[in-house]
Amino acid sequence: MSDARLIAAPFAPERELADFIDGLDEEGAVVSFVGRARASAKSGADVTRLFLDHHPRLTRRSIDEIAAAARTRFAISAVRIVHRCGEVLPGEAIVFAAAAARHRRAAFDAADYMMDRLKSDTFFWKREDGPDGSAWVEPTDDDRRDLERWS
Amino acid sequence: MTTIRFYGRPGAAIGRQTELALPEGRCSVKTLRQLLAARHPELAAELLSPTLRACVTDTIVGEGHVVREADEVEFFPPLSGG
Repeated sequence: MSDARLIAAPFAPERELADFIDGLDEEGAVVSFVGRARASAKSGADVTRLFLDHHPRLTRRSIDEIAAAARTRFAISAVRIVHRCGEVLPGEAIVFAAAAARHRRAAFDAADYMMDRLKSDTFFWKREDGPDGSAWVEPTDDDRRDLERWS
Repeated sequence: MTTIRFYGRPGAAIGRQTELALPEGRCSVKTLRQLLAARHPELAAELLSPTLRACVTDTIVGEGHVVREADEVEFFPPLSGG
């Protein structure tokens, strides 16, 4: 079971998790991650809104590919990815990623892998807007190192 | 005219979409960047940077790729999701 979605409206990650679990069979392990928009940037500046620019085809395709790659790479039987695009307010969920497996290690690894790739290997461009102006966010050295762990 | 689309920072600075007449109807991605940089000198460094990847027909292409009039070329700055 593989479910990957790109959505422009707010979503409830707790409902995604409940629904994901409802659809499972004999899996003994479920790992999920929720990324939320912060109210401040790395610099400490206030952030009143996040904007996620995206590509009309490649963004969706890259999310699908990450979900499929996780299925291939780890001994998991179900994945779900939900990713926002457009405007996101502080406190709202930006991303939900979940993996289910017979045993916990594969589920942990798959969720970790999907998030590292969603962070800097999907077609999104993130801008932080605040009272002091707007700034486009680029991947950090940490993000690049996280991604390299899987290559 | 060739359609060029920008995302992220250059998309906000230049505009999402622009059109450009190519010399003799075709040129390399490298030359296309130089033409764009001449048109937008304030963004020249970013337009000429290898971190701004070029994409034609949903495929990332190299500097030597030949762009033709009917192509749509897209430029992608470094990705940041999640």
